[in-house]
Amino acid sequence: MLAVDLTGDAVKAKNGSMVAYDGQMAFKKMTGGGEGLRGMVTRRLTGEQMTVMEVQGHGTCFFADRASEINLVSLRGEKLYVESSNLLCTDAGLRTGTTFTGLRGGATGNGLFTTTVEGSGQAAIMSDGPAVVLRVSAQYPLSVDPGAYIAHTGNLQQSFQSGVNFRTLIGEGSGEAFQIRFEGEGLVYVQPSERNTIGGDI
Amino acid sequence: MNFGPVPGGPGGPTVFDPYSLPSDDNVNAYTFCVELKGSQWFLQKGKMISYYGRIEFNGVGNGRFDRLLRTSFHSPLHASDWVVAEGQGKMLLADRAFDVNSYDLDNGNLTIRSGNLLAYQPTLALKQSIVPGFLTLIGTGKFVAASNGPVVFMEPPLRVDPQALVGWADCPSPCHHYDHGYMSGVMGGLRSLSGIGGASGEEHQFEFVGAGTVLLQSSEMLMAEQAVGAVGAGAESAGVPGAGYGGGQGGPLGQLGVPRMPGQLGDIQRRLGL
Repeated sequence: MLAVDLTGDAVKAKNGSMVAYDGQMAFKKMTGGGEGLRGMVTRRLTGEQMTVMEVQGHGTCFFADRASEINLVSLRGEKLYVESSNLLCTDAGLRTGTTFTGLRGGATGNGLFTTTVEGSGQAAIMSDGPAVVLRVSAQYPLSVDPGAYIAHTGNLQQSFQSGVNFRTLIGEGSGEAFQIRFEGEGLVYVQPSERNTIGGDI
Repeated sequence: MNFGPVPGGPGGPTVFDPYSLPSDDNVNAYTFCVELKGSQWFLQKGKMISYYGRIEFNGVGNGRFDRLLRTSFHSPLHASDWVVAEGQGKMLLADRAFDVNSYDLDNGNLTIRSGNLLAYQPTLALKQSIVPGFLTLIGTGKFVAASNGPVVFMEPPLRVDPQALVGWADCPSPCHHYDHGYMSGVMGGLRSLSGIGGASGEEHQFEFVGAGTVLLQSSEMLMAEQAVGAVGAGAESAGVPGAGYGGGQGGPLGQLGVPRMPGQLGDIQRRLGL
């Protein structure tokens, strides 16, 4: 559960994720994720839909969604890439948008596009079990199972890594045939659980 | 505005890199880190969530792992669910956000529900238990197991609910216990005939006697497990070996109603196209 103290300012949160509040709060649904007409069309086209509400007021507001774990990410001007289904709440000052992820999206089963959060402030992302934050640096690239990936920040290149060989074809696959390889400088958030992915059983 | 409380101290969550990740230890209650230095680990499919370094994953089968399999993998029924991880680096293991713990065996033996075992060192030998649905590890080494909720260790003599049983170590005689008294007599006969007021769901337990340790999980929710040998456990008797015997057996022969014969190599012949 996430507690947000508000003093007249606002946060953007996933629609319907408020579980309790005290003080004075106003909830306003933001059509198209609060990104204007262009954002709305982009989201519709990319399938990265997100229903967002704006919460404004004085007091404390509590957010939660399906008892999933909540991880806070502090942003100081960098960009957070997160699946829209994993994004719970952001400062109203953060800009959200949509971006193309390439092949990775296809493997995670979340589509080829992902949500970006940009600016300075805090964002809350959800995971199944507490997320582990892993640093990626030039000497230490990281490989992540597509089903366990939830978000990343920093300047990272993603590439798709496949271990499919003839053994996969005769039914002796390793179950770890597809990985996303992150290179560059940044942080990757992984959850201790795997979504069902297209490549998961191979 | 203030998002709070911030977990993990003032600096936010801990950030791990290849140096700060523990070696063969838990990262948190749900994630385990294995360090590979040219060594090998057996791993259940799909439990690796990420890794640093160069690590290769290969299915258990015929070929280059023949020697390794001969000493430490004796379960052809499970061959398609296990992989060998090999290389240099650190990898993280997790399973559906369940509690993960590692255990050390020192020249010992431990039997565990097949779905709960995540990984083990090849210094241990994996064998199928004669209790269907369970695997036995023998030898010296480390293994990683998942449980729904923390594991509780108990001493026999003890009767446990089949669904809460994770495994046992050194116990000579696990057996079924059926609460017969509850289902006998006039009222019991009525209960068993009509089903009304009958099943409390606790008439059937596993009984352990002798010296040893029994491992229980604090939830009766079962992890997905492989139907092994004669287990055709239906939904109402999940985890009870022998329940629903004869129905729902795996394999092409099982579908024809032919029980699996001793010495038959699981479903390996099907995978080889025979």
